[in-house]
Amino acid sequence: MSLPVARGRSILTGLVLGSLVAGPYFLVLTALAILGRISGAEFVWWLLAGITIAGAVGAVTSKNVVHAALSLVVASMSIAGIFLLLASEFIALVQILVYGGGVAILLIFGLMMTNASDDPIVMDGSQKPFGFGVALVLGIVLVGAMSGAAWGGALETVAGFREIGTRLYRDYGVPFEVASLVLLVALVGAVTVARRDREEDAE
Amino acid sequence: MISLTHYLVLSAILFSLGFYGVLVRRSAILILISVELMLAAVSINFVAFASYVDTDLFSGIIFAIFVITIAAAEVGLALGIVLRTFRERASANVDEASTLKW
Amino acid sequence: MGMEQVGILVAIPASVFVLLALTYKLLPRGGDFLVVLAFAAMLLISLAVAGDYVGHIHDGHFAPEGANAFAFDWINIGNGHFLIEFSTWVDAITVVMIVVVSTVALMVAFYSMSYMHGEPRYGWYFAALSLFVTAMLMLVVSGNLLQLYVAWEGVGLASFLLIGFYWERQSAAEAAKKAFITTRVGDVGLLIGIVLLWRQAGTFDIQGIIEFAKSGGFDHTYLTTAMIFLFMGAAGKSAQFPLHVWLPDAMEGPTPASALIHAATMVVAGVYLVARMMPVYDEVLIARDVVLYTGLITAIMAATMGLVANDIKRVLAFSTVSQLGFMFVALGFGEVGAAMFHLLTHAFFKALLFLCSGSVIHATHEQTVEELGGLRHKMPITTVTFIIGSLALAGIIPLAGFWSKDEILHIASEQAPVVYVLLASAAVLTAIYTTRLVLLTFFGEPRNHHAYDHAYESPFIMAAPLVVLAVLATVAGFVIFDPVGQALGFPGGILATVFVEHPHHFVFDPMFAATAVGTALAGIGIGFAYWWGDAKRAERARGWAPELHALLVNRYYIDDLYQAIINRVVLGMGNIIALFENRVVNQSGVDGGAQTIGWFGHRLKFLQTGRIPNYALAMAVGVVVLAVLASSAE
Repeated sequence: MSLPVARGRSILTGLVLGSLVAGPYFLVLTALAILGRISGAEFVWWLLAGITIAGAVGAVTSKNVVHAALSLVVASMSIAGIFLLLASEFIALVQILVYGGGVAILLIFGLMMTNASDDPIVMDGSQKPFGFGVALVLGIVLVGAMSGAAWGGALETVAGFREIGTRLYRDYGVPFEVASLVLLVALVGAVTVARRDREEDAE
Repeated sequence: MISLTHYLVLSAILFSLGFYGVLVRRSAILILISVELMLAAVSINFVAFASYVDTDLFSGIIFAIFVITIAAAEVGLALGIVLRTFRERASANVDEASTLKW
Repeated sequence: MGMEQVGILVAIPASVFVLLALTYKLLPRGGDFLVVLAFAAMLLISLAVAGDYVGHIHDGHFAPEGANAFAFDWINIGNGHFLIEFSTWVDAITVVMIVVVSTVALMVAFYSMSYMHGEPRYGWYFAALSLFVTAMLMLVVSGNLLQLYVAWEGVGLASFLLIGFYWERQSAAEAAKKAFITTRVGDVGLLIGIVLLWRQAGTFDIQGIIEFAKSGGFDHTYLTTAMIFLFMGAAGKSAQFPLHVWLPDAMEGPTPASALIHAATMVVAGVYLVARMMPVYDEVLIARDVVLYTGLITAIMAATMGLVANDIKRVLAFSTVSQLGFMFVALGFGEVGAAMFHLLTHAFFKALLFLCSGSVIHATHEQTVEELGGLRHKMPITTVTFIIGSLALAGIIPLAGFWSKDEILHIASEQAPVVYVLLASAAVLTAIYTTRLVLLTFFGEPRNHHAYDHAYESPFIMAAPLVVLAVLATVAGFVIFDPVGQALGFPGGILATVFVEHPHHFVFDPMFAATAVGTALAGIGIGFAYWWGDAKRAERARGWAPELHALLVNRYYIDDLYQAIINRVVLGMGNIIALFENRVVNQSGVDGGAQTIGWFGHRLKFLQTGRIPNYALAMAVGVVVLAVLASSAE
């Protein structure tokens, strides 16, 4: 069902919702920062968290597949920012490289191969209410579990690139090699599965 | 002050959103996107713990590296399968793959 | 040959049976001479054992000192806690039985050589005879109840084989089945009684049980019940009311077999059992009274049925049932001696009567009295011996039957005058039907000239046993006299010595004897009045009370009652059970189980939508439930 009406409606919904929710959010945040009620690190954190969640919501609710994929990219980048806040530059870089440069590209390619441009609107599945309920419950349980405990600890600077490298190659050498094997297998597997059979070519 | 709890709650919310997406979405690629979201949320969790609690040994960072690696491999392989299925059936709609029906 | 070796009396016929059953087709003449020789040997051994027994009697006391018992353990569990053994016991009762059985068996076997000549399965007949004698002797010498029960069943089996000897005839097969099933009903009671006795006494040994009972070891009600159950078995085997229905039909078997089994030996197994257990019955007089009244009812009932029967053998069968009733009446008063004495005399004259009737049947090929008549001209020996047997049956002095019947009547008159009157009327009926039989068969004008013309006197082999038995029927009664007893070796006479529970000297009461003979003669007179000549009076009498006549001819409709019970109750229950089996077990249980599973399957299959998101949702729900549980567990 590639009705222009539906396409437009999806964009419209997104924009409306986005402005209704995101607008005030950012405005309040900026106000608080300017007023000095929250520190700079806090402001950045809340900003990045908001963008991440906005991107995630877009990824799971957008009817347009392309929009959903792009929302995922947005979310991934802001997650990289979160990593930077956690003083793990290495992971932030890896996140940008792999998610932004690898996964996103792959997803776009996949969309192209499955002719999503002809028909980008995909209505959601039939079990929307059940899924919503289950996910809500899970969310409540998880959030409750996370915020319930007194975790303690303070943010400290984590080791730099050198230490990470040493750890990775020395203590976690075997998992490292296994991970590379996994990548190899995935590569070969993907090629084998997606390959066109000779008979199909002959026809 | 941003404490560990903030990061953990954020990761929990992202995970639940991804969970919702897996259950509800109809296109295979959209499901993949949701899975990726879940894995990212998990990485946040690990790294947060590594930074706040486990700074000496930072195993969380190492684990997050592996998670991201495997996530990428998984996407590649899954897309291969989606493409194959799409070729057979000209549709990436997951709902229609119901030949195991009673 | 002493009392301890009495077991050999079982071994001889057993080996003859096995040999004959396997090889009768190969042996010359079917092996009948083997049987006759074996039975002759057994008679000699029985007499030797009797002599040994007599030799151990001192001063009126039988002092076995272990000499009359023999036992070896077969199954011994828990060092005597559960013991099954093969044991023998010899006392006066045993001696009487083995002598009677051996004598009659020898006579019958000898007779059969001629009677059964030319019959199919000739050798098998003798094999079955041997089997019967094995079981019967084992029954009378056994010292414990379990062995007795085994022999009891063996006797039933042999009876079945012999009744159904002519199994090509539907009526014979039915009669054999009827006999077996009816006695089976009684046997169940017997087994229950045996087990009940064992449970409290702890042993199957008869003498052990008797000692236990005398010492008061049994609970009174319990023992009464057990002895009544025991009597059920006796009633079944001895054809007492209400289990008498099989004996008249059992006449389908060969006549010599009927003579041996259903006149002289097997049917007295019940009498033997009660006599053997009499010391126990003395402890529970209620059970003894049951024996008494059952015997009384049977005696009268069977005599009335014998009046109207038309088949020679049937009349004799009813007569047997009635005389067995007499024996049970004697036992009911606790008089073992009188009962055993009547058993002895009855065996002789009843076997004689049956063999004579066999002679008639063999000669004329007719069994129905209506077809006979005037045979005394053609078959003199048979006529004379039959008359002797009849007079003995009717109780005419000085024949054997008089003495034993007189003894029983005497006892009854002393103990219960009412019983005496009823028993005496049964005796009168006996005389009447006996006379009827004699007159219709041997006197008057022949009614079926074809049968009459073909009649001939029996050959020597058949006639000789008749004569022997006639002699015995005449003189056997005299052993009751004290001088005779003393001459035989019983100090003080038989009655004083042998049945030591109730010893008394024989007293001959002339007045009483005259009364008894008088009533018997009166009965004979009535018989003459109605059946002499043309028997016109009898036919007119039949017209007076046709319903009564029908009642008697149909044997009080008891057979019909039993058949109706079988049809309604047994088959009805069978139908109910079949219905249950069909509805509940088959349809609801087996089919229903399958259908239920199918029903659930038809509905549950919708869970398998085949769509992956549904499955993912299900898994998600599971995970979430686990998460909730885990978080709430803290």
